[in-house]
Amino acid sequence: MHSDFDLHLAADLDDALASLAPAAGEAGRPAAMALAGGTNLIVDLRGRRARPRRLVGIGRLEGLRWLRVDAGGIAMGARTTVTDLLESPALAAAAPALHGAARVFAGQMVRNAATVGGNIACGSPAADLVPPLMALDAEVVLEGPAGTRRVALADFYTGYKADVRAAGELITEIRCPPRPAGSANLFYKLARRQGDAITVVGVAVALEAAAGRCRAARIALGAVAPVPLRARAAEALLAGATLDAPAIARAAESAAAAASPIDDIRATAGYRREMVAVLTRRLLTRAWQAIG
Amino acid sequence: MSNERRITLEINGAAETTSVPAHRTLLEALRGLGHVDVKCGCEKGDCGACAVLLDGVAVDSCLTLAWQAEGHAITTLAGLGTPERMHPLQQAFADLGAAQCGYCTPGMIIAAESLLRRVPDPSEDEIRVALSGNLCRCTGYTKIFDAVAAAAAVMSGKGDAR
Amino acid sequence: MTTTDRTLAEPAPRDTNVRYNQIGKPLVRTDAPGKVTGRTPYAGDYTMPKMLHAKVVRADLASARLKRIDVTRARALPGVACVLTAADMPDRNIATDIPGQTGRDRLKTDQQVLVRERVRYFGEPLALIAAESRDVAEAAALLVEVELEPIAGVYDPEEALKPGAPIVTAPDNVVATYRIRRGDVEAGFAAADVIVENTYRTQFQEHAFLEPEVGLAWVDENGVVNIRVSTQVIEHFRAVADALGLPHNKVRVLGAMVGGGFGGKEDVTVELYLAILAMHTRRPVRLEYSREDSFVGHGKRHPFKLVYRTGVTRDGRITALDVQALADSGAYVFLSPYVLLYCAVNASGPYRVDNLNVFARAVATNNMFTSAFRGFGGMQACAAYEQQMDEVAGAIGMDRLEFRRRNLLRTGEPMATGFVPPSSIWTEKCADLAWEALGEQTPDDGPVKVGRGIACYQQSYGRLTFLKDTSEAWVGVEIDGTVTVRSGVTDIGAGQASSLAHIAAEILGVTLPNVIVYNSDSQVTPLAGTTTATRALYMTGNAARQAAAALRERLVAVAAEVLGAAPDAIELASNRVAVADDPARGMSFAELVRLCAARGVHRSELAIFRAPFTSPLDPETGQGQAHPDYVYGAHAVEVAVDTETGEVRVLKCIAAHDVGQCINRAAVEGQIEGGTQNGLGYALTEEMLYREGRLVTPSFSEYLMPTAMDMPRVQSIILESRSGIGPFGAKGIGEPALTPVAPAVANAVADAIGARVFEYPITPERVVRAIAGRDRAGAAAGG
Repeated sequence: MHSDFDLHLAADLDDALASLAPAAGEAGRPAAMALAGGTNLIVDLRGRRARPRRLVGIGRLEGLRWLRVDAGGIAMGARTTVTDLLESPALAAAAPALHGAARVFAGQMVRNAATVGGNIACGSPAADLVPPLMALDAEVVLEGPAGTRRVALADFYTGYKADVRAAGELITEIRCPPRPAGSANLFYKLARRQGDAITVVGVAVALEAAAGRCRAARIALGAVAPVPLRARAAEALLAGATLDAPAIARAAESAAAAASPIDDIRATAGYRREMVAVLTRRLLTRAWQAIG
Repeated sequence: MSNERRITLEINGAAETTSVPAHRTLLEALRGLGHVDVKCGCEKGDCGACAVLLDGVAVDSCLTLAWQAEGHAITTLAGLGTPERMHPLQQAFADLGAAQCGYCTPGMIIAAESLLRRVPDPSEDEIRVALSGNLCRCTGYTKIFDAVAAAAAVMSGKGDAR
Repeated sequence: MTTTDRTLAEPAPRDTNVRYNQIGKPLVRTDAPGKVTGRTPYAGDYTMPKMLHAKVVRADLASARLKRIDVTRARALPGVACVLTAADMPDRNIATDIPGQTGRDRLKTDQQVLVRERVRYFGEPLALIAAESRDVAEAAALLVEVELEPIAGVYDPEEALKPGAPIVTAPDNVVATYRIRRGDVEAGFAAADVIVENTYRTQFQEHAFLEPEVGLAWVDENGVVNIRVSTQVIEHFRAVADALGLPHNKVRVLGAMVGGGFGGKEDVTVELYLAILAMHTRRPVRLEYSREDSFVGHGKRHPFKLVYRTGVTRDGRITALDVQALADSGAYVFLSPYVLLYCAVNASGPYRVDNLNVFARAVATNNMFTSAFRGFGGMQACAAYEQQMDEVAGAIGMDRLEFRRRNLLRTGEPMATGFVPPSSIWTEKCADLAWEALGEQTPDDGPVKVGRGIACYQQSYGRLTFLKDTSEAWVGVEIDGTVTVRSGVTDIGAGQASSLAHIAAEILGVTLPNVIVYNSDSQVTPLAGTTTATRALYMTGNAARQAAAALRERLVAVAAEVLGAAPDAIELASNRVAVADDPARGMSFAELVRLCAARGVHRSELAIFRAPFTSPLDPETGQGQAHPDYVYGAHAVEVAVDTETGEVRVLKCIAAHDVGQCINRAAVEGQIEGGTQNGLGYALTEEMLYREGRLVTPSFSEYLMPTAMDMPRVQSIILESRSGIGPFGAKGIGEPALTPVAPAVANAVADAIGARVFEYPITPERVVRAIAGRDRAGAAAGG
């Protein structure tokens, strides 16, 4: 276990931000890291993959733990746990993609501790909440030394386990715009087992329809690229179209082409790419049926 | 090495004080204080053997730092009941043969208790989802599902553990 | 559901007029209350004053020369008590072979205690550290400087057999070979209408017990090295003593409740390191493997390549069978020869094959060493032969069950080695009941296709008979009427100790809570042998039964005299002794024991049970007796296969086994349900993956056993032929529960998709590839 760190349990958000801010003369030293649920970070400390100089515990920041599902959309504090998502009937109705991802997220104890902000911040390509949130067009609220800013989740990642956060910035909120009438969203996690598994391919889709045509489509893919990503070309194929089987098939193939998977112990790149097409086709079909 | 600090943990209703460094996990701290009913299976949150209740909610004590647990009520398996006065889950696990080697049992019962505190009358699917982070190699889970359902019935006054 | 169908019982059950008070009932195991309340101590729960914490430093290459190891900086770290390398200890080895009663020399392939020069597998121990805390031990491990020079290794048994292959075990990497020959195989193939040949592959499997290897050792005031350890085999005290150069009576192994074994705690694990460190430091030392340590710290299930060639007539009679089996033994031998032998003698399964040729080899590689695992070679054979039975049935267009029926071994018929198992063979009844219990088939749902499979099996209980196995148990009664059982048997979670209490309670007529079992101490409790090989109930149960029965006879003699009745009219039940047809004439059991005490009657008995002793099988023909007896049964499953993603879900799972006689029905069901979990994991998700010998799945997030969301409910159909040679006609269920599960799943998947995945585990990707192959073949045939 990496043990060469200070642990500061922040009393409130200001305290947390002050503690996360790089101190003068600390240039070049490993950064401070926020510790929320710890379900990834403690594992990384134990494996010495994370070696921060300082950990800032944000477990006491109850103000960051809230979930609101209403006409204004879906919004939540960064410390909202996966269990909080799972236990919200309103979320299950409004965002089955996100609720469904919560259900197949790790095991109960991890869900009880793991936070939405943490799942986004960990940067894993297989982070299960990210594709649904991307499909829901989520944006991330960052607070830091330079103030508050909002970043679309689709633009958040800059590379494998890299993101746009500046030193000292903390994810505080996640917001999704209102879900218009005639919309549907779905997620499917393909894994090597049903319970507590790392995702082989995760696909989330969201469709908005009007007058028998697709007004907007968002397709997000997990575990098939260095970062979770949107299949924008596939989305463009769908926008304005009537979603018959050939249109859906074309979009599914396009989504597969957007993936850049690797071979690993769970599956080959080829299988992953094929499954992006299969799952995208199925989810689009079901979502379209749900709207129609 | 990280700094040591004296912390006071509320464990099974009693306050206990210990001096631990920042990197000490709650699992290590609890076992160090003699609460060896909390089991170590993987230290990665993959198996659930170390589960304890933190303010009534199950967490993996291997993924919790001891300092973080200060100010929260910690409940381990031994805090739920004794051989003389068993908790309904303990009684049902014993009566229905849901414990074999018994090593996963502390975490399994804690996870089940965490479920039943929120969902008093769970479906089998809810039981399965709630226990999916607790690995068991001996039982095939069948008798565990039965035991959790039986305990739920007892706790909600709908039946006895057998 | 339970069936005791007496019409099938041939030979006749041994116990007539059976009327048990407690045997066969689903009683609460004696170990349950302690476990469910967290009171039961495991080996890792013990601490001692001034205890040190140990750590093993391991090689991170699978094949290398140790050029340099420098522990100076590690030793200098404050809080480090010692850092030991091979240079600090005599050049002794760990026995990897079964020592003891065989009278044979051990194979000369023992494992070095620490790497002296040559690293043979990934994770092989290089140094031992003892320190004041775990933190310090881990910090010291990072300060050990190791320079390894890679050496070309060999990671595939077939490669290891080729000329010029790197040699892991001299002279040719072959660590064991067995042949079984019956009848005239050439003539049999000539008589066949159809010959079907297939190759089946199995994988490395991890035991995945939840309690990693752990122990605590100290040297006591008599100079005895005491080791409290999580083990299936306390009798490794001898191997530890030999490796340390100590007399056997100066090493004592104490068990504790074991948090799962499954064969993975059958070999020496942490015991020897603990003993070395305790002797060196003269302080108590605790060593607990991390999960990562555990993954590299004990042998795995052998991967096999099994080539089956079956000759069959159109009317479904097997005329010949040729089996070529190749097992990966990994870098050290351990129990590979015996695992291989189990595979060989079970290669034709529960079928009568008069013309049989089996050629089985285990080959050394630089992979992780392989050793015991529940099923022990017999299950790998079943994993192949039951798939082959379906393939052959398909080739002649015959119903799968009917084809099996026409070839099943029946009671009194000889198995592959020519041995006639002494008990009933109820395979057909089990298969029929299991198949029937599947009920109505679940309909297909679009691309999700439903299929069914069945697998029958034959699996031994009791160790190889040429090992000359014995087991001891002591039973005594106290003057308050309570009963004590003492036996060295280790309890690894299946209720081994509880079953002894159950047996003693039945025979002495006391209630289960009045019996206490003291077990698992190599110098204090009578030696009972290993808890392996589905032998604990058979061997130690028989010993306890003998001891209790002898004691009962003495007690009953006194009761008969005092009550004025014939001894066979005396009944012992519910803590009372009474005349059978006149219950008013009686007394409490405690009163009887007090009367016996006043008369100086010997109130305890030490019994030894001896399994059949035989010579090894004939080396050329493999004919003879290999095991005491065999268990038979069948497993049926229904699966749903998503033909687009390849995902497989097990919908129904029916296990039918003739266990001879249940001792504790709930415990039998528990074994069946748990064995099924292990078998489903083997079939679908579990796989230890190695790249150039390096383990790439060292955690439970990468090594995937079924979770609560994956497991179907398991329905057990328990048949009791009462024909077994264990206590009360019991057979055994530990290993048999697992043996047929994986091929039943494989057959169901093949049934669903019309193509077979010939390699375990049946992953989604392999399913998709098999379907694509089927479609290509169909297109080629159609075109």
